[in-house]
Amino acid sequence: MDDYQSSRAGKSGNHLTVTNGGDCRHSTSLSNGSIKQPMNSTTANAAAANELYEMLSPELRAKLASSEQRMIVPEGTPLIQQGVPPENLVIMHSGKVAVSLNCMSGSASLEYSEPGKVFGMRALVSGELPEINVTCLEPCSITTLPRTDFVALLESNPAIYFAVAKVLSTDLKIADRILRNNSRRFFCGSRSRPAKSN
Amino acid sequence: MAYHFQIIEDCLKCAFREQSLFCDLPREALIRLQQIKATSVYPKGALLCLEGQSPRGIFILCTGRAKLSTTSSEGKSMILRVAEPGEVLGLTAAVANSPYEATVETLEPSQANFIAQADFVRFLQEFPDVGLKVAKQLTHNCKCAYDEIRSLGLSNSVPEKLAKLILRWAEHPLELSSKKPNETALRVTLTQEEIAQFIGTSRETVSRVLTSFRRKGLIRVKGATWTITNRRALENLVTT
Repeated sequence: MDDYQSSRAGKSGNHLTVTNGGDCRHSTSLSNGSIKQPMNSTTANAAAANELYEMLSPELRAKLASSEQRMIVPEGTPLIQQGVPPENLVIMHSGKVAVSLNCMSGSASLEYSEPGKVFGMRALVSGELPEINVTCLEPCSITTLPRTDFVALLESNPAIYFAVAKVLSTDLKIADRILRNNSRRFFCGSRSRPAKSN
Repeated sequence: MAYHFQIIEDCLKCAFREQSLFCDLPREALIRLQQIKATSVYPKGALLCLEGQSPRGIFILCTGRAKLSTTSSEGKSMILRVAEPGEVLGLTAAVANSPYEATVETLEPSQANFIAQADFVRFLQEFPDVGLKVAKQLTHNCKCAYDEIRSLGLSNSVPEKLAKLILRWAEHPLELSSKKPNETALRVTLTQEEIAQFIGTSRETVSRVLTSFRRKGLIRVKGATWTITNRRALENLVTT
């Protein structure tokens, strides 16, 4: 982890933990600093505007909606951790995260702030452990979907794989951007701050 | 121009189908694939798609190999990876309806099946198995990209990077009856300039390091055939 990363991640050791089925009509501070948001019509629409949902039928969206948890998480919160099986899919609505890969010689990373990105899909569908870290660089508004609920929906509706493919396509683009934007450091051995997302 | 491979026009009769991450599909899906794909044969150096170009469709690489290159943030051309037969190219762009992320250029005479984007999207929607295969291919591509990032980030010296690259290629050696025991023959179709783009250095440095490898008896180079003569020494160069 380079200096920039460690200074960011070091500000909070929060881990994302979500309880399902909670009453979301009232904002509640979680012990880890996350704040649940009420799901009114505006936030529900915002939640629909993501790369996963835009490919799903209204019926399937409705099925997932019952398991959603929308919240604001503080800076430094790890949304996905390398080597740790994710319990949730994480849909980002606002804020900025760092997507990084741990290497023995440091960390290659990319700042990412595009709303609607879904994190955790690759590990979820492949059953492999995540190879990236996704850490909030500022307070982020997110929605979480429990892994078990999404996998159950996927198994009963294989047509969702098209939507899954779209999410994975963005994951691959992010990996390619990390490679491209960190090429100077890789090739020259210099240290650099995370590159801005294209 | 004569190509030294058999053109596979019928996906249902393709002997390599089961080895491919994407093509091992149910019969109904293969029949539809047969209807929507256009088979073409390309010479070495053909550009299948260009970085930044609007997506036209996908290419299933049936025979041959192709390099995927992009432009770094410093404006330098860099090779992301080399695609092998069975791989689907342009998938990210076609699925996400976004510009191609990389330029794809054949490294040798190749056969590729082209499917127009609209047909491919319909194909995906019609056959859930195809969606699953696409997801698997993208998952695999992500893993390759992550490995590439880690690999490049860990290698410090050019000899180490080059040794690592040669050892990676050695995972798919040439089958040569005349080869000596403990030697591994490879077919390297990349130019020294392209190898330089692969490991982020200059062509001159690649040339110098290759000469050093040859003098030390690590490898033997004869045209496009490289032979690893001292694998242990190459492995010793890789410290990470």
